[in-house]
Amino acid sequence: MKLIPLITVILLIYTAALPEDVLAQQRFPAPEFESGYELPDVVTPEPRALANEYADVFLLASFLLFTSWLVIKKRSRKWILWLSVFALLYFGFIRNGCICSVGSLQNMTLSLSDPVYAVSYTVIAFFMLPLIFSLAYGRVFCASACPLGVIQDLVIIRPAKVPLWVQKSLGMFPFVYLALAILYAATGTDFIICRYDPFVGIFRMGAEFHLVILGISFLLIGMFVGRPYCRFVCPYGALLKVTSLFSKRHLSITPAQCIKCRLCEDSCPFGAIEKPTPDKLVSKIKQRSGRFMLYAAVIPLLMLAFGLAFSSSHIFLARAHPDVYLAHLLINEPEVMQDTENLDVQTFLGSDRTMEELVDSAASIQATFRTGTWLAGAFIGLVAGLFIISQYIVRRRTVFEPNRGDCYSCGRCMEYCPVEK
Amino acid sequence: MDINNNIKIAKRTAVVAGTFCLFISLLLLLNFIQMKSADPLESEVLETLVQRLSMEPGNEQLKEEIRQFDLMARKAYFTSLWQVRTGGYLLLFAAVILVTSLRIYHSLISKIEKPEQDEEPDDFTARTLARRWILSGTAILIFLALLAAFTLTDPIEAYIASVEDTEEPESEVERIEITDAETRTEEPEEEEVVVVEEIAEHTTPEPVAEEPEVPSFPGESTIKENHNALRGPFGKGIVYHNDLPTEWNGESGQNILWKVPVPLHAFSSPVIWDNKLFITGADENQRKVFCFDRHTGDLLWEATADNIAGSPDTPPRTTPDTGLGAPSSTTDGNAVYSIFGTGDIIALDMEGNRIWAKNLGVPDNHYGHSSSLISHEEKLFVQYDDLNRGRIVCLNVLTGEIIWDITRDSGISWASPILAGVNGNYQLIVKGNPIVAGYDIETGRELWTVSAMAGEVGPSPAFGGGLVYAANEYAAMVAVNPVSGEVVWEDNYYLPEVSSPVYGNGYLFIATTYAVVACMDAETGEHHWEFDTEDIFYSSPVVAGNLLFVTDISGNTYIFETDSEPNLIAKNILGEQVYTTPAFAAGRIYIRGEENLYCIGN
Repeated sequence: MKLIPLITVILLIYTAALPEDVLAQQRFPAPEFESGYELPDVVTPEPRALANEYADVFLLASFLLFTSWLVIKKRSRKWILWLSVFALLYFGFIRNGCICSVGSLQNMTLSLSDPVYAVSYTVIAFFMLPLIFSLAYGRVFCASACPLGVIQDLVIIRPAKVPLWVQKSLGMFPFVYLALAILYAATGTDFIICRYDPFVGIFRMGAEFHLVILGISFLLIGMFVGRPYCRFVCPYGALLKVTSLFSKRHLSITPAQCIKCRLCEDSCPFGAIEKPTPDKLVSKIKQRSGRFMLYAAVIPLLMLAFGLAFSSSHIFLARAHPDVYLAHLLINEPEVMQDTENLDVQTFLGSDRTMEELVDSAASIQATFRTGTWLAGAFIGLVAGLFIISQYIVRRRTVFEPNRGDCYSCGRCMEYCPVEK
Repeated sequence: MDINNNIKIAKRTAVVAGTFCLFISLLLLLNFIQMKSADPLESEVLETLVQRLSMEPGNEQLKEEIRQFDLMARKAYFTSLWQVRTGGYLLLFAAVILVTSLRIYHSLISKIEKPEQDEEPDDFTARTLARRWILSGTAILIFLALLAAFTLTDPIEAYIASVEDTEEPESEVERIEITDAETRTEEPEEEEVVVVEEIAEHTTPEPVAEEPEVPSFPGESTIKENHNALRGPFGKGIVYHNDLPTEWNGESGQNILWKVPVPLHAFSSPVIWDNKLFITGADENQRKVFCFDRHTGDLLWEATADNIAGSPDTPPRTTPDTGLGAPSSTTDGNAVYSIFGTGDIIALDMEGNRIWAKNLGVPDNHYGHSSSLISHEEKLFVQYDDLNRGRIVCLNVLTGEIIWDITRDSGISWASPILAGVNGNYQLIVKGNPIVAGYDIETGRELWTVSAMAGEVGPSPAFGGGLVYAANEYAAMVAVNPVSGEVVWEDNYYLPEVSSPVYGNGYLFIATTYAVVACMDAETGEHHWEFDTEDIFYSSPVVAGNLLFVTDISGNTYIFETDSEPNLIAKNILGEQVYTTPAFAAGRIYIRGEENLYCIGN
């Protein structure tokens, strides 16, 4: 604990020592000086040193390892909290929210779909490490290593209890977002997770106005609804939710035998604590086993319906790609070529590309989107089907347990348990 | 310190930090709005001042005023930027204090309570509700996807289909018998038809493929007597008549010999051969060539460019300031050749009978194709640059067949080619983006090229005194030696946007879209004079003898002496807008206005 202030000071000095021109960008056209003054050449900052990248990976691995130990062995909420503050400072405010595991899934997707696009070992490590750790110890990454999660966790003041049905219903959205993020990354269209990251503007102390407002809104909501982005938006969280379900060792509320005192019942601001299963529920679910079979049989139809609906909207979705957007614009509104302030159009006109090439490229991208939207739609249909049939699955539980998929391993519940080892 | 005191401190700290957060947020919001309005790049005042400067380029006081204002605006902007950044840090700091104090406050006042019985729906009801909401959510998602599908059609597919439909059928040159009189306004004389039929009966029955009769082509002196292309003989903007009128008034009728309404609007300029004057007109439904008796103004005939293989059913989209009839025709005395924005090109004999017609492929041109035609003997040159490529096509005037067809290292342009006599041979001088180049008219081989243009290339090149001149706004004016391809001089002070430069008696004249006529030394590029006019210029200046004729878009024609001083001989009013370049004949000037065609003479 004594090292904490020292480390904090070092981190702050490091932040202050960052050269300003690294963040600078040319805002205006260069003025014409008659005094003979010559503008200095624009200097492109050197890429981040490889050693620093490896240091990032090392830090992430250390955070994950340390958090796992704190969650499984030490069972210390306080240490997890302090660790998460460091993660927020380093991965959030110092590294400006990049690189981050959440966004890395797009780099991974693009590298798989585009043979020319290569990802560094750092990106692979950032993508894989949290998933591997979640298979072993649950979502320890969300607990203390993810700056997006931590900043929300720290602002929780008075969390309201979100009704279970709302939580279950909205829990599907991260999978929809995941499908769209993969679709856009695989087609080389955009990294939408990064583009619409609500917290990166806060980490970087500057962003587009609407993103700043979005980030502040998430934090204000987060004071009363625990981690709204993690629970209802985060696409990487959707992956972690799945892998964490199979975790070998997971956080347990009680270090020994649960005495069902119910003290922990409302301790989780994320509604991730499962109560002992009432017999009534088991019998009701059993009575409806036919519906389970029915909905299970409907899943392929849902996949087909979603695939069909999404593929029919592939033109709409493909318009997010700059080539498709520009081609549509130039075909539908050729007069826009007169608009000297339209930088997209003027850049295209000043380039070597012909209209024919642009249209060919747009047509090819649209064709890719047709296939991609089929797959994305089918995936969403599958997820919707699984979410529905999961309502007819009940596991007989006799003690209070964290839901392995939804638990962020923050350790709050452990503090409430009166049982000692 | 007891717990109540701590609670009080935490609460007060939270209130102070919260108030501070709100205050800073409000300031940041106001600053953000102010910063948006103070963006130097968006400043209306600055824009107005810059516009004024374009009208008064020599106004030093105005320049200084702009500099001062620009500096002030930049300072204001960067100060706001600093304030936003500083405010952001203050807000972050205050937010951390607020959250920390709130957390402490809540941890101090909270106590472990006895769990109460659940008031929310039981687990089974929650599952049922969740299932219903998931089903509703999926239905909404599918509905949104289908809505997106039905509200957006695929313009790419339609575009590719339209391009394929209108692809140039290279081998399909439509040959139409000369006896086809459908397009004529005058009824053919019956006797002539009989003669043709009789000849047909008595000729040999064997179906011999008739070679088109090779007519004689006019020599240089004959061409100079006429006005066979945009900007006169060889397209250079120089005419060879000395007895031209210098005073007229379209409103009072002074020296207006005749005035007839233009039958169909277009921006093409008139061309003349002997007694015939040709113009074109076009709209969405029709493309026509009109022939007038230049002495009386009577419409002799009109011909429609229709039923042409490969011509698109729906004309390409063009802007109102260009349209489908911007290119001017050319004539060699044997036929008149016209091209339209649809890519349709047509050859008509001097009586209006169609000789051949074809479609060169619909040009991919966002304003509309506007490059005019020019011919030399059996070759008809078509500058056919569009968004896809820079291209020049050389057609056989007798058959419409392609003699050569080259792709150039350039993009779209709206300029027209000219012919320049260099070392006893003609070069085809063509501008584009970014090149001006000379081509061998026999083979289309590029002889030299200079990369000096940029943006939207509208003005055509000029030639005189052994040099080629090319200029374009936002680029440069270059004088190029067409033998070596070397740039002799370069300047960027006076640059035209639409109107083409012209050489005359050792001077180079430029008419700009900021209402200035400028004169430079053609050999050195030295500036001689500039003259502020009433309106801007689309029409190109023409030199006749020692006079320069140039017409602004209000229809005022300024006549200057081709001299190193701005000697304005006359300013003549037409009374209607003029975007075209006048045609000249002995003692006559022909001006196509927006509404009427005028013949001016003493």
